[in-house]
Amino acid sequence: MSRRIPAAARRAAILVAALALASVAAGAPASGEATQADGVDRDVQTLKKELVDLNKDLFKLEEELLYPASTQVAVFLSVDVGTFFALDSVTLKVDDKEVTNYLYTEREVQALHRGGVQRLYLGSLKAGEHELVALFTGKGPHERDYRRGTTLRIAKGVGASYIELKISDRVASLQPEFVVKVWE
Amino acid sequence: MRQRPTAATVLAAFCAALLGSGAAAVAKDLPRREVRDLHYGDVLFQFFQDDYFDAVVRLEAARDFGRLPNHAAEAELLAGGMYLSLGLHAEADRIFNRLLAGSLDSSVADRALFYLARIGYQRGHDEQAARNLARIQGPLPGELEPERRLLESNVLMALGRYADAAAALRVWDDESSWAAFARFNLGVALVRSGDAAQGRMLLESVGSAPAVSEEERSLRDRANLALGFALLQERSGEAAAAALSRVRLDGPFTNRALLGLGWAETDAGRHDRALVPWLALRDRPLLDSSVQESLLAVPYAYARLASNGQAAQHYRQAVQSYLRESGRIDESIAAIQRGGFLDAILASSPRGGDVGWFWQLKQVPDAPHTRYLYHLLASHEFQEGLKNYRDLRIMQVNLERWQDSLDSFDDMIAARTRALAEREPRKADMLGRTDVEALATRQAGLAARVAAIEAARDVAAVASGDEARQWRTLQGVEQRVAALPPGPGREALADRVRMLRGALTWQMDAQYKRRLQLVKRGLAEVHAQLGEARGRVGLVHEASAQAPLDTTGFAARIAELRSRIARIGPGIDAATRAQESVLQTLAVHELAAQKRRLASYATQAQFALAAIYDGAAAKVGP
Repeated sequence: MSRRIPAAARRAAILVAALALASVAAGAPASGEATQADGVDRDVQTLKKELVDLNKDLFKLEEELLYPASTQVAVFLSVDVGTFFALDSVTLKVDDKEVTNYLYTEREVQALHRGGVQRLYLGSLKAGEHELVALFTGKGPHERDYRRGTTLRIAKGVGASYIELKISDRVASLQPEFVVKVWE
Repeated sequence: MRQRPTAATVLAAFCAALLGSGAAAVAKDLPRREVRDLHYGDVLFQFFQDDYFDAVVRLEAARDFGRLPNHAAEAELLAGGMYLSLGLHAEADRIFNRLLAGSLDSSVADRALFYLARIGYQRGHDEQAARNLARIQGPLPGELEPERRLLESNVLMALGRYADAAAALRVWDDESSWAAFARFNLGVALVRSGDAAQGRMLLESVGSAPAVSEEERSLRDRANLALGFALLQERSGEAAAAALSRVRLDGPFTNRALLGLGWAETDAGRHDRALVPWLALRDRPLLDSSVQESLLAVPYAYARLASNGQAAQHYRQAVQSYLRESGRIDESIAAIQRGGFLDAILASSPRGGDVGWFWQLKQVPDAPHTRYLYHLLASHEFQEGLKNYRDLRIMQVNLERWQDSLDSFDDMIAARTRALAEREPRKADMLGRTDVEALATRQAGLAARVAAIEAARDVAAVASGDEARQWRTLQGVEQRVAALPPGPGREALADRVRMLRGALTWQMDAQYKRRLQLVKRGLAEVHAQLGEARGRVGLVHEASAQAPLDTTGFAARIAELRSRIARIGPGIDAATRAQESVLQTLAVHELAAQKRRLASYATQAQFALAAIYDGAAAKVGP
């Protein structure tokens, strides 16, 4: 049985196969054009790197300005196996106030299944006791509509708090399991 | 950068695809590993959605924040792969070399070597690529291993070491699509290098292999096409026809195969049968070079069949078609030179991170500036330039968005500064009314007094309210008794007072220890509360001092970032214009070449027509 080859690699794979064994080949661009194109390519590479660095600094500024480390709370969502649950959406409430309601695309679900972890929510909370409620909707075993909630009480101290909501499989009961983990 | 022949065919468009997009795509094939830093998982979430730019920004930010302590090497490898995907070859090269220099983990070093080899090969540094491939110690994880083998055979072929490439392929005994691609590449390379027999054998094996998936069928078509043309070059018409007949009639290689099939039949002397594929071709869109050629081939076959009338008619139609097409190319050249053609292309292309969007450009409208676009994409330079142009436009939008965000950040800082100013009088008033040190002095005085009480065991000092009142009353009575004239009456009263004093003292003494403890505990609590209050006042002072620094710090960072945006913005504009100019030149160059080819075909048709007329005139002549 043949394995599938990613499209990009497949195209790259036949680079050398100039199958114009009898093709009507147009000439390669004149060297002047190639030089100009190379020069522009170098400029674009430099600009792209500057833009990555700029975006990084803006990303950091935004986070530090809007969600200072002393009050920051980040909620992440991950999927471990996830055979028994097809995720459609997650609603997150903090102290009974809805802070996010996220609908997933197929692409995002696939990214989660491959090991990606979504930063579902980033916010600020004062020090003290808080309640987080996450509601998961999707399809459970046997394609049945499935809706489950999980609650976590956290004692927010000084410093950033990271919370992971993990969808995993409870093999014994063939049911999905929703685990909350507070990262130190 | 590796240069390849540019062929103005749809076929070649598939060949010419991408340099540099594969690394990240391949990195995805690595086995799933446990995420030990949440922010690394966040990077992977973007990465797995092909959003390399956002992923690499998050990765760099997370590294700056020190949030990837458990994935340092993986993150570096991933960053290199993503920079490669984003076309930042130099940055990717730097990262992989740095990884290689610092890594003791052989699996990381192997992958870095693989990527470096890939970059080297893409840039035409084949010797360097071969050296890096040779340094890889163990099998690479997942799908990277077959790709390494394919790269190795490609590099060996690029170095002209066909025998080594063939030897490497022989030990690659699996029947995967990867191996089939490698055999196909080597077959083509061997034919081109002169070892036709072995090349044909490889192409024959790929061309007659069972094909289930679309990619396998497509590869089989390519192999049969290459084999057919190789056999045609050797004037083996029968065998060539057999190979070309195996190419599907509804694939991207159909036109080329039909053209070749006609020539194969001609080679075998079957001109009537050659007409079948060529007549089928001539009804197809004239953009394709095979179709253009078929317009000459059809009357050629008629002429060989001595149907000069039909031949002349088809030559005349061919000349008209070539002229019409040439006129359309002129329209396209004029439209492209007016500018803005790239924006029209991009407006109709979908948003996406990978090169996949190129192939969807097939759907662009049949307007003068876009009509030949898909054919222009056959040129690798045009593809890379178009990708750059598109990236530049996305970068412009990115900067505009951040510009808006910075304005909001400015508003936020201004609001914080105002709030600070408004809070200042209330804060000063509150702090002015709060003298923690005076309270501390009082507490210290109390503590000294309690110590003195304890030292003197002054039980009355900690008496209850009633006892204290009774004690004072008793002391007053005692003085009054002492002031009485001596005598039995005073003595009796004095005895009674002594008795009462003794009883009260006994009562206070019984409670003294507990009461003293209570007082001392209270004092300790006050002491702790004073410390807390002192701390809070300190925090208020600290925050008062820090807040303006924070807002000033943020304001300074915003100003610095704004100046960077102001600097990069015009750079992007200039590069966009330069890129557009390069692409205009490439497009016009390519279209001009097409025009020349059409003119050449038209001339050939006119000569052939003239020859037919001359022949006819000679027959009716005296």
